[in-house]
Amino acid sequence: MNPIVVILFLIIVGLTLVVTYFAAKKTNTASEFYTAGGGLTGWQNGLAIAGDYLSAASFLGIAGAIALYGFDGFLFSIGYLVAYLVVLFIVAEPLRNLGKYTLADMINSRFNAKKVRAGAAISSITIVIFYMIAQLVGAGALIQLLFDIPYWIAVLLVGIMMTVYVLFGGMTATSWVQIIKAVLLMAGTIIISFLVLKEFNFNIFEMFTSMKTATPHGADYLNPGVKYKMPLDTISLMIALVLGTAGLPHILMRFFTVRDAKTARSSVMWATWIVGIFYVMTIFLGFGAAAFVGQDLIVSTNAAGNMAAPLLAQVLGGDFLMSFVSAVAFATILAVVAGLVLSGASAFAHDIYGQIIKKGNVTDREQMLAARYASVGVAVFSIILALFAQSLNVAFLVSLAFCIAASANLPVIVYTIFWKKFNTAGAISAMATGLISALVLVSISPSVMNPVEGAAIITGNPIFPLTNPALVSVPLGFIGGWLGTLLTKESDVKKFAEVTVKANTGGFRQL
Amino acid sequence: MVVATKRNSKKIERKALPDFEKIEESPGFRNLLKKKKAFLIPSTLLFLGLYILFPIIISYTNVLNASFIGDISWSWVYALGLFIMTWTLVTIYMKKSAEFDRMAHETLKEFNYEEEDNQ
Repeated sequence: MNPIVVILFLIIVGLTLVVTYFAAKKTNTASEFYTAGGGLTGWQNGLAIAGDYLSAASFLGIAGAIALYGFDGFLFSIGYLVAYLVVLFIVAEPLRNLGKYTLADMINSRFNAKKVRAGAAISSITIVIFYMIAQLVGAGALIQLLFDIPYWIAVLLVGIMMTVYVLFGGMTATSWVQIIKAVLLMAGTIIISFLVLKEFNFNIFEMFTSMKTATPHGADYLNPGVKYKMPLDTISLMIALVLGTAGLPHILMRFFTVRDAKTARSSVMWATWIVGIFYVMTIFLGFGAAAFVGQDLIVSTNAAGNMAAPLLAQVLGGDFLMSFVSAVAFATILAVVAGLVLSGASAFAHDIYGQIIKKGNVTDREQMLAARYASVGVAVFSIILALFAQSLNVAFLVSLAFCIAASANLPVIVYTIFWKKFNTAGAISAMATGLISALVLVSISPSVMNPVEGAAIITGNPIFPLTNPALVSVPLGFIGGWLGTLLTKESDVKKFAEVTVKANTGGFRQL
Repeated sequence: MVVATKRNSKKIERKALPDFEKIEESPGFRNLLKKKKAFLIPSTLLFLGLYILFPIIISYTNVLNASFIGDISWSWVYALGLFIMTWTLVTIYMKKSAEFDRMAHETLKEFNYEEEDNQ
């Protein structure tokens, strides 16, 4: 381990702890804990959304995927960006206008039924857990490689940091850690992209021409089909990516940190530009790694290609740039897991404990205490799972989280806002069908069942052919909600008028 | 008895709520919904359509492998087009929503709602 890495690493740890110290002074009420008091500006929240969203899977995973599979790796970038149109057009503003701390608040603004709240909390917690294990397992493996320390120490280190941010600094600390990370990540990516383009004499055409001969794939490298050969699998994955973002609890929670729908909207605008520019640059990172590091070295360092970006930094800028990129990767992981802990804790402490068990009769002090206990609980639980899940495929866990979000959360959100006849039974059956079908289909898919012994969790022929079941489970979620509504027929038209007025005007929030 | 009183007081609170159905049926609010839908429905269909068409085309055909300029193929152009589409639609929506905000504000004013009450 070289000394520059240690110094940069300590600077990031120190800086985020200073932020947490000041945030802790401003975290005295439940509202401050969950939403930073709702006082973030558009650009601040936009950067924080980017920081919350661009996980290690985006930074290291996509750069690696493009380095190894060329065009097919870039498919992720496209899906992850276009998803923000779904967030902007359908979810962001009604969520801000109807909800308080969680997605369940927003759905319950229409139904006010414990079962609906429980359903929304359970699906949120499921998504958070899958996403979190993916991040922690990825983090452990990467930090192990970057800093040459054992896996369990790496996981514990990240786990302790995220718990400290959330426990003491709540949403304020989490937001600023995410903002700092977004700035560092953009800076690192811009520097590497610049250096890559310099190697190609700032000529895009020259870059593409060189890439035709830079890898064993030859000219195919620049065309679709190197990795994804089954059409329905590709389409299904793309559906999960574009619809999943709008159902991810840690992203949805960010919209409660701004004062009104207008600011929620402008934060999506900022996020779209930042995230979009980042994803365009993943092309340079991936191409650069394939051309200047070489696929053999990338694969021999990490079979999934996760080390492509740090290795590229080493080639282009020596030890210092490599250390900087490693430190950025570390900050990236911290910012995402902190957001996840907070959203998991809000589902436990606010939805399940505060609203369902205590029926809303909790003092602010009790809520804060519950939220802090829940944060520690969620953190400890995920750290333990991550220690046992070391061998699980990270990309599979992330795409599963996106698939559950798209199948269990999106249908109920869309129906709640737009469908007049939608009712309590429909809400429950939409969430249950989406969640269960996504989980069941994945557990009988090629990701879990493989005839080659040891290649997957179960040895045997997969019963369901698609790696990502979104193509089937998302429509099932919509059908479930539709059937549940039609079969029971009760509906509250008055309540729908109220929700429509509130969602579209932003008024009457306290009533 | 206590429960009954509680229920009564809740009823009184409910009565103090504005008549949301009346607001929803007011011409100003109807117009807002109509204008929003006129923008959001076609644009959502457009971007989802163009987006999902992409994996369908590249999975079932090779047409996008044809050269655009030099070694850059049409697949890259389509992919980057989806980026530009996203930024364009976001920009257009930001412009349009100024009008939506104004109409929402007018509806709230018409029904004597003070926006400061939200804070």
